[in-house]
Amino acid sequence: MRESQGYRIFQGFNRVLMVLICIATLYPFLYLIAQSFSSESAIIQGKVNIIPVEFNLTTYISVLSQGDFLRSYKNTVVYALCGTIASLFFTSIVAYPLSKPHLRLNKFITPFIIFTMYFGGGLIPNYVLMVNLGLKNTIAGFVLPGMIGTYYVLLMKAFFAGTPQELEEAGEIDGLNKFGIFFRIVLPLSKPIIATMVLFYAVGYWNNWFTSYLYLDERPMWPVAYYLRTIISGASTSADPGEVTAEKMQIGANIKSCSMLLMALPIICVYPFVQKYYVQGMMLGGIKE
Amino acid sequence: MGKKLLCVLLAVLLVTAVFAAGKKDAAASQSTGEAVGYTYGLDKTFYSEQPVTYSMFFSDASWYPMKDEWKTEGVFAEITKKTNVTLDIRSFDSGDYTNKIKLDINAGNSAYIIPKVYEEGPFVDGGAVVAVSDYVQYMPNYMDFYTKYNMANDLDTIVRSDGKYYRLPGMLEAAMQDYTIMIRDDIFKAAGYDVSKLEKDWTWESLYDILVGVKKYMVSKGMCEADDYIWSDLWCGSESGQGKGGNLLKLMGASYGVPSGWAVGNGMQYNRDKDEWYFASTSKDYKDFVTLVNKFVKGGILDPETFTQSDSVATAKFYNGETVLMSVNRGQYQTWISGLDAGKVGKGNYSVYVTVYPKGTNKYAAENSRLENGVMIAEKARKELGEDGFIKMLRFVDWLWYSKEAYTLHKWGVEGKTFQYVTDAATGLKVKKLMPGFKCGGLGIGGAETDEDIRLKWGFAGGNFYYGHTVAEMGDNFIPVIQDYYARLGKYRESRPVNPPVKSTEDENEQLNLWTTPLIDNVNAWTLQFVTGQKDISKDWDAYVASCKNLNSEKVVALINEINKRK
Amino acid sequence: MIVYRKILIIERKFKIKGTAQNMDTKNQKMQNQGNQLTSGRGAINRRMGMAKHLKQNWQLYSFMLVPIVYYIIFRYVPMAGNIIGFRRYRAGSSIFGDEWSGLKYFKQFISDQSFWRAFRNTLSLNIVYLLFRFPMTLIFALLLNEIRNIHWKKFVQTVSYLPHFISVVIVTGMIRELISANGPLNRIITYFGGDVTYFIALPEWFMTIFVVSGLWQSLGWGTILYLAAMSNISPNLYEAAEIDGANHFQRVWHITIPSILPTITTLLILDVGGLVGSGMAFEKVYLLYNPMIYETADIISTYVFRMGLDSGNYSYATGVGLFEGLINLVLLTIANVTSKRITNSGLW
Repeated sequence: MRESQGYRIFQGFNRVLMVLICIATLYPFLYLIAQSFSSESAIIQGKVNIIPVEFNLTTYISVLSQGDFLRSYKNTVVYALCGTIASLFFTSIVAYPLSKPHLRLNKFITPFIIFTMYFGGGLIPNYVLMVNLGLKNTIAGFVLPGMIGTYYVLLMKAFFAGTPQELEEAGEIDGLNKFGIFFRIVLPLSKPIIATMVLFYAVGYWNNWFTSYLYLDERPMWPVAYYLRTIISGASTSADPGEVTAEKMQIGANIKSCSMLLMALPIICVYPFVQKYYVQGMMLGGIKE
Repeated sequence: MGKKLLCVLLAVLLVTAVFAAGKKDAAASQSTGEAVGYTYGLDKTFYSEQPVTYSMFFSDASWYPMKDEWKTEGVFAEITKKTNVTLDIRSFDSGDYTNKIKLDINAGNSAYIIPKVYEEGPFVDGGAVVAVSDYVQYMPNYMDFYTKYNMANDLDTIVRSDGKYYRLPGMLEAAMQDYTIMIRDDIFKAAGYDVSKLEKDWTWESLYDILVGVKKYMVSKGMCEADDYIWSDLWCGSESGQGKGGNLLKLMGASYGVPSGWAVGNGMQYNRDKDEWYFASTSKDYKDFVTLVNKFVKGGILDPETFTQSDSVATAKFYNGETVLMSVNRGQYQTWISGLDAGKVGKGNYSVYVTVYPKGTNKYAAENSRLENGVMIAEKARKELGEDGFIKMLRFVDWLWYSKEAYTLHKWGVEGKTFQYVTDAATGLKVKKLMPGFKCGGLGIGGAETDEDIRLKWGFAGGNFYYGHTVAEMGDNFIPVIQDYYARLGKYRESRPVNPPVKSTEDENEQLNLWTTPLIDNVNAWTLQFVTGQKDISKDWDAYVASCKNLNSEKVVALINEINKRK
Repeated sequence: MIVYRKILIIERKFKIKGTAQNMDTKNQKMQNQGNQLTSGRGAINRRMGMAKHLKQNWQLYSFMLVPIVYYIIFRYVPMAGNIIGFRRYRAGSSIFGDEWSGLKYFKQFISDQSFWRAFRNTLSLNIVYLLFRFPMTLIFALLLNEIRNIHWKKFVQTVSYLPHFISVVIVTGMIRELISANGPLNRIITYFGGDVTYFIALPEWFMTIFVVSGLWQSLGWGTILYLAAMSNISPNLYEAAEIDGANHFQRVWHITIPSILPTITTLLILDVGGLVGSGMAFEKVYLLYNPMIYETADIISTYVFRMGLDSGNYSYATGVGLFEGLINLVLLTIANVTSKRITNSGLW
């Protein structure tokens, strides 16, 4: 148990390094926080760093009282909720049979779904499909394109493959059919991977702006990620002459920062508590050994 | 029995055919008056007996976002009240608008009416939009303006290779040079320069000398340091300038006869005498132009960050008194005033002057087009409405965008509710004024905090409808400062005659697009590097020209001239 | 986790008891199968085998029904639309294009400088990013593994995972704020006497911005798999080495790293396989880039997006997309096969 001098120095160095890493990781957030509580003029004059200058709550009040932001926030909650439930359900019911080696058709189905990870339809065909299905400006239009993530199917599949056969057989002996076994035995055992999936899918839906860019045109339907994009990304990349973009309202850095933080807040609050599960989930369902 | 049935059928068919034909003629042959099911006409209100709905795309600007009230009591409701036409609005965020309508149109999911179109090229080749030139004969308000103000030449610039045009453009009686330069008149005068006397013939070179003098004055008074810039502009940065150099390069370039900045287009310019096109971006005029702009930067006058910074940074400098001139347009004049009041400069401590910006090698204003963005009509509409229904819709479009009545309605709102006529003391003429309790950012009419903004609340004076028309109509909301500016502009500057159209075929278009996109990206990148001094004009010019040739600039010229000869 | 462990223990006991029973039924099954195989009518039996197999397992298969339909509708049907890479597509007319154009568009983009620029950028951005991320993640994982204090370790881990969960819209918003003209980076530069640099408009800075922000976002998250592998290393190995007199660093070098070598190799191979892919980076680049930095920032997916939407040339854009997809598929398949050969594990 005698530790060498060198090792102790190393430990000290490691501690310092970790602190620096934490600071570097957190700095952008601190900067945003400071900006969101500062006055606009202070920001423009470049006075703000990680301490708010001319501290005030007006930015938060104005953002939160603004109809558009709140409405897009509400939308995001609804979309994420519906999407996560749907995704969880469908991902697990396809991953479970795929984890059973005795099913012969798996030989074909597994590559069938994996192939879609590499090839897609491209922008226009997908768009045309959604239009023809009448899914534009609907919740389904937002959820369906990404509802089953093939990578997540593989993760769940690996996890299910690791659950002990004996328990399922015990259930069979007890007279449960396959549905029963799945819902009453396998799923309750799969809390780690379910927690992982819930987190991943929910975060995915929460953060998604591109799908809404494509399919949710109307302002009342926007989720907060797309709403943020319209106020942050300044340039219009279309062929409009600059006169159009020139009229754009000057959105203060304090408003942008405030909106960004409010959007990230729920995730920041939730993920540490689920950390145990997704770390496990990643481990257990990770790369197939 | 079978034969009898056949005869009856034939008879029915014949009768129907006669009726249908007759109906068509009745509807089409009149240019004003009654048609079956609706009224229309020059200076008449369009009215449909049966309520009818037309789908329309809508560019939703985030600085006056669309609200439900617009449909229940605002601009859309008012339109329906007058015409019995309901617009089925499909809106997109203005920043993504062009991409989104491209997506929808290309996916076969177009709305009938497509406003806010600046370039219709990509849509024409697909056959998704109607050649409206075939139908303008049915549109009385449009035709009236067209003939009264001799728009034929201007319209010719948007005619395609098949001899037709596909966009109903906003038509202006006269080209409006909307963008110009605003100066801090108090500082200039204190430095000894009365711009109102100088602006008639001043060139950019003389502006440079003036600014050097102004800066010297400012340094001597401790208003700025010797290495500070006194000009830091907006609308030129990587956002609103779109990486092309934006507004300033457009203004300065035009005065040297070259397209640049926002107006760079495909970099081609037309030589009227030789009836030939040439690649202006590598011409001598262009070299002189970038040298000029670079002169301002090198001389410590113009801040090179102009071409990268965001608009809010530039306006902040102006509001805080760090810079003494800045670009302005009539829409933002009030905003700058408010900014100066609120900034470090402070209310009452300054005076501004809206200049007629300097000449270059010519005294053309940068704006010479009397056409603005316009409306396209989807082929889908013609298919689904049938010929008669389609013409009916076109007459509605005619009313909405080209009639004086509709213009007043969607610009000012409802008489007695949002605006009223008052007799102007000075001229004795009747002018429009917003009713008390209202203001409008879109019209540049300020007001108190408690006033209702008719654009924000009800969608009046919104960009989807508000453009085009006569000088008098456009100017009915101008404040005296702006009116004065336009008067001076008319006296001191001219409009450059418009370039002829290049009527390329579908394949030629495709090829030109593929060439010009990377070519102009290259031109823009080099231009900005030249003007900011990152690259040396004298040393690197040849490398620049070579890089353009490498990207097919000569092929573009050759092809365009070939097309030009065809006409 | 605790529940799981308990059940594991219980069923282990159970296993010992029930093994005999299970063995019997298993033996019977094998005998039946044996009878079938030796019955001589091989082909018919195999066909009956499939039908019977379906009948036996219809419940499990029915689970997959809806998802498979989903895949067909939302993944495979649009794939058919890729055909427009070989046909001339016109807006508003048939979505499968109007006439065959053969390889016209493929030839066009092969001779298009901008395409190769996008290709080059995709490769160089991916390679440089990989060169930094790979060793840094590994080292970070090793360092994390050395933290004695459990609470501190967990804290650092939690903090390091945070950027992974942040939307790309926010990340690019942060980047814009941080590198803006009056942002902190420029303030530091001017404090030390430099000039204000407008990073977002300079092509030479894009790679740095891309790589650094990518590291910021993914470094912590990337350590999870390594730490998982490390936690699987038996402590006995370490004890034995310590007894043998190895100091700490030697133990890491000779035990930790070799033990997680399979994980390292797999990840490396898969990363290399994805070097031509630009799909993952699309959103970030799209939200960050502007015409002034296309030179270094334009990647294949943004190029396709721009060409497709802006110039309306969907056939062309689809052709490029197909090309990228094909190369991607080939590379990743090679990578996966290699990985499976060497370390017995892969993506599928």
